[in-house]
Amino acid sequence: MNAPAQLDGCSHCLLPLGRRPMQRTVNGEPFAFCCYGCCIAFQVKNGKSEEWDAAWLLIRLGVGAFLSMNIMLISLLLYAGALEGADAWLLPWIHLLLWIFATPALLILGGPFLRDAWVNAREGRLTASALIVVGVGAAYIYSALAVIGGSGGEVYFDTATMVLMLFTIGSYLEAAARARAARDLEPLLAAEREVATIVDGDKEIMRPVREVAAGMLVRIRPGERIPVDGVVIEGQSHSDEAIITGESRHIGKGVGSPVLAGSINIDGPLLVRATDAGTSTRWAKICRSVRDALSRRGPIQRIADIVVGVSVPLVLILGVMTVLYWTSHGILFDRALLIGLAVLVVACPCAVGLAAPLATSLGIGRLARCGCLVRDPAALEALASTRLLAFDKTGTLTLSKPRIVAIESEAGRPDEVLARAAGLERYSEHGLARAIAMAAAARGLEPVKTSEVVALPGRGIRGRTHGQTIAAGNRALMDELGWAMSPALDQRAHSLEAGGHTIVYVGWEGRVEAVLALDDTPLPETRWTIEALRRQGLAIALLTGDAHQAARRFATAVGIGMDEVETGLSPEAKCEALENYRRTHGVVAMVGDGLNDGPVLADADVGIAVGSATDLARETSALVLPPGGVWMLPWVISLARQVRRTILTNLAWAFGYNLVALTLAVLGLLQPVLAAAIMASSSVLLIVNSLRLTRLPDPILPPSPSWPGLTRQSIPTVLSTPSGASTA
Amino acid sequence: MGAYLLLFGAGFLGSFHCMGMCGGFACAVGRDPRGGGATIARHLLYNTGRLSTYCFMGVLAGMLGQIICTPQGINLSSNSLDLGQRILAIAAGLLMIAMALQFFGLVPNLGRGPLGFGGNTFSASLRSLLGTPGPAAPIAIGVFNGFLPCPLVYAFLAQAASTATAPSGFLVMLAFGLGTFPAMLMMGGVGRLLAPVWRRRGVWLAGSCILLLGLVTLGRGILPLESHIAHSWLTPPA
Repeated sequence: MNAPAQLDGCSHCLLPLGRRPMQRTVNGEPFAFCCYGCCIAFQVKNGKSEEWDAAWLLIRLGVGAFLSMNIMLISLLLYAGALEGADAWLLPWIHLLLWIFATPALLILGGPFLRDAWVNAREGRLTASALIVVGVGAAYIYSALAVIGGSGGEVYFDTATMVLMLFTIGSYLEAAARARAARDLEPLLAAEREVATIVDGDKEIMRPVREVAAGMLVRIRPGERIPVDGVVIEGQSHSDEAIITGESRHIGKGVGSPVLAGSINIDGPLLVRATDAGTSTRWAKICRSVRDALSRRGPIQRIADIVVGVSVPLVLILGVMTVLYWTSHGILFDRALLIGLAVLVVACPCAVGLAAPLATSLGIGRLARCGCLVRDPAALEALASTRLLAFDKTGTLTLSKPRIVAIESEAGRPDEVLARAAGLERYSEHGLARAIAMAAAARGLEPVKTSEVVALPGRGIRGRTHGQTIAAGNRALMDELGWAMSPALDQRAHSLEAGGHTIVYVGWEGRVEAVLALDDTPLPETRWTIEALRRQGLAIALLTGDAHQAARRFATAVGIGMDEVETGLSPEAKCEALENYRRTHGVVAMVGDGLNDGPVLADADVGIAVGSATDLARETSALVLPPGGVWMLPWVISLARQVRRTILTNLAWAFGYNLVALTLAVLGLLQPVLAAAIMASSSVLLIVNSLRLTRLPDPILPPSPSWPGLTRQSIPTVLSTPSGASTA
Repeated sequence: MGAYLLLFGAGFLGSFHCMGMCGGFACAVGRDPRGGGATIARHLLYNTGRLSTYCFMGVLAGMLGQIICTPQGINLSSNSLDLGQRILAIAAGLLMIAMALQFFGLVPNLGRGPLGFGGNTFSASLRSLLGTPGPAAPIAIGVFNGFLPCPLVYAFLAQAASTATAPSGFLVMLAFGLGTFPAMLMMGGVGRLLAPVWRRRGVWLAGSCILLLGLVTLGRGILPLESHIAHSWLTPPA
């Protein structure tokens, strides 16, 4: 079956297959290729000599080269005047010999182009192959007629075969270079094809990763990629989790350590018990997401596709008109035909079609290798032209682990408050909710059983325990419920809030019973990141649902100006604020944690989710950074800009070159063979230009945090002061 | 014609150098199960493929020389060597002398780096073709083999370019290519025939030949026309 191969993209360069993939069997297995060049390159690389099928294509290439070189050789000798004078009687015979050489050469080299042109033509499309077929066919038929006519007129078998040869070589070189580009993408696209060594009793069996179920034992040798999420049950090693976390570090792994699918096992054999099925790891999801993104086309690419589609018929018409023009202006028909051929060959829009997809996939692959997911090429293009970056605060610029620093309760029973709140909040994925649940767990409290839990976006959460309504959330929620609060508690809440803490009100039975104060510690690298983004010419905004005081204190700490902060915003108000920014700044990106701000992220031109814990498949944002990956933003943006610059230079080159060469060709100043040679080299040039993207540096973690004594590792997750301990 | 005999000789001696690299391919082209005759045919096809690559490159080199030497379309039928051709001869001569010195092991290896990518591609192609039966495969192997980077071939291509006409460029490479036939056919038939000592001597001989040719070519560029020993040798046949 060819289905899996099609799903995976081109077997050689791993890029998405076009509308008409080439199917071929190599070494007994079916493969699909996006282009003829990839097909050749793949067989050169992987074909086994025992397989006649694999070698067949190369033999065709070699024999085609043999024939066309001999044709060219003889023709060049003729041009050089080797048969002038006494030997002129030989000329018709030599022409016949050329014809005999040219016919198989044409069939061998032109076959794939003819097939491509034919398949597309039947579906009403004209492709670049059609240009080559028409041009070369015309030159061949004219020359054949000249030989049959015996008029001793010029023949152009050399031009016909050389043009085909150069196009074949060109597409081969292109494919070879593209495969080099694909090395970047390979680990991402190969995830499901990868094989895991499953230990079953005494046996070790090799199975595709997708057949691994939770609970299976998997052996991973040093140097291998860990195929599953799991826990080490035997062995000691280090692993590099850059592909999931974005940070390239050696992390020690011993018995009991969790390991992540997609990370590399560096130096020791490990036996791992899978905690998840092979297909449901974050790694597998990243890979599926990358494949999805690659199969989409960005706006620039769509324009380029339209241009290519339109240009082929135009070029055909132009070619015919050129021939007619020159013949009507007293040039011999065969000369005019050659000029027409040069026009067709040089206007072949291969390079234009190549300009965007390669750079985009390289960019996507580069980002994915550092754990950053792009869901749509269009997002990458939009990010490059983004003028303003709006941040959500919680979980984005702060550590995703806020901690409870104070519990003020009406009845002086903080444990009961915590147990009830934890019973409610464990149903939420909100950062604050998790802090509450963890605080309860840390104090050994059993969460109170809660039913009918409803999350109220932007306000809090509500449920029922023992038949009573219980709610936790902000002031607005309490007001909405009409729940009263004692003045003492109210005052305490106010003073905590003034101190810049985030306040969660907890109430039941129609009363606000307690106030929880949470500390939202800014990520140590936030200030550095904001500064770097400003240096890139971006405007910054902070949109938060937090109260004014807390947000201001935070903004000052990370270097965001007061005029750039908007506080107390509901999700709808955030969308409105974004709309305003869009009017004043143009393209706007929104950075959030992807949990509470889903609608806002979807509303922005580019939604960027940081460290999303939710299912990637349900993710609405266009770009997903790894957990704690805000520091990568400057790098991501410069990469997006680099990708766009590459696409634009590629297009400028392709169009500019085509235009100049086309003009020369129409004026009859360009030999068809020369035209084909430059054409092939032009494509290779574009690839080399795009490949520069692979040499961009990796993201670097900011050197040192701006807060003395505060590092990402040293932050306590729970502070267990029961009450009154407010840190100003 | 004497010059072409010299080239043939240089090719013949030089092909002892080839045995290191191309000889492996010749061996790998292998024997035809249908017997000796078929094996010989197979190797002839392989060498024909190689030869046509050489000749093709020779013609191109000759054309290139011609283009360099006749920017304004100077008539070449006159026997005068114009300045461009002299410069070309000097360049080609120096290149050949450098190649010869390389054969003697006196200068480090040239000409591998820039062609690394192409060379790898071609050797990869060759590997997957070796041992494939049928008459077409050896031709294809020969064609690809001809494009493999090789100092010997470069030396003769420089010589071909310095002749500054397509036909004589062709003849230079034809003579050289035919010169490599005996050794390569022998390799195909017998496998490792020569002891390393002899191969080393062959390389020395090849180097000497190229050195001599290089000096002659250099002389064409530097010496005045009258004292030109190789003048009659290496001008194109009328």
